[in-house]
Amino acid sequence: MEEEKYISDKLGRRNPFTVPEGYFEHLTAQVMDKLPERRQKARTVWMRPVWWAAAAVCALFVSTAAWLAWPQASDPSQGPMAEVVVQQQPDDAFFDEAADYMMLDNQDIYACLVSEY
Amino acid sequence: MMDDQQIRQMLLDPKTQRQGFEAAVRQYGEQLYWQVRKIVLTHDDADDVVQNAFLKAWNALDTFGGDSKVFTWLSRIAINEALDLLRKNKHRLTVSEDEYSVASSLLADPYFDGTETEALLQEAIAQLPDVQRTVFQLRYFDEMKYSDISHMLGTSEGALKASYHIAVKKISEFFKLRD
Repeated sequence: MEEEKYISDKLGRRNPFTVPEGYFEHLTAQVMDKLPERRQKARTVWMRPVWWAAAAVCALFVSTAAWLAWPQASDPSQGPMAEVVVQQQPDDAFFDEAADYMMLDNQDIYACLVSEY
Repeated sequence: MMDDQQIRQMLLDPKTQRQGFEAAVRQYGEQLYWQVRKIVLTHDDADDVVQNAFLKAWNALDTFGGDSKVFTWLSRIAINEALDLLRKNKHRLTVSEDEYSVASSLLADPYFDGTETEALLQEAIAQLPDVQRTVFQLRYFDEMKYSDISHMLGTSEGALKASYHIAVKKISEFFKLRD
């Protein structure tokens, strides 16, 4: 390229810039001193299979206990009409009983199971 | 002295990242400094840009996939950082643009060892748009291949050749007007 030759003939390709003495000897240390510690990327922690199994057993245990305790409140021997009557004419005793069941905790379930055996 | 491939392997392994990064700074720090210095012109600005570029590279190490060369990756960060600084400086200079001359400020700079003509060359280069300016510096002074510049700037070789051609033409016209 003609213009490029004109520039290089006239000006050359010399680097006219300089740096303070010893600059490059200290550059690496200066850069490294400013670097923070790297934080490792957040890792997705999966629940171990054994914990999943334990959680499933607990859920099964609680639901079975609740189901075993429930028939007292809706005894099938009373027939469907009786249930309707109960629904239509609730009394305080039913509400108390239902509230008790709704507020069941583990201790109550254990107590209930023990009392059945 | 380690080669680019060895440094790349160290950077990709969390256990050797810091050691690998130190090797990269030692290996490429000077070369990056000169690339940046030719764009920003003063030592203080070049020093700031290089330090910031390394810090950015360190913080963005996860984005380095190992597909490109370490030097190319670092160059891209450093050149972008240098161009950002130029834009900020240009914004600051608009107020007193008439009084500002690149050549006279370079001649007064203790870290410029050039002649008046060399200072004028830097002034001519400083008047070019960002891409033309960067391509001219990398091609004319560092004699870099278009393919390497292309990887560095993320621009096609054809566009780079055109930019270089226009830059050379503008600079030669700048001097012919003064002859």
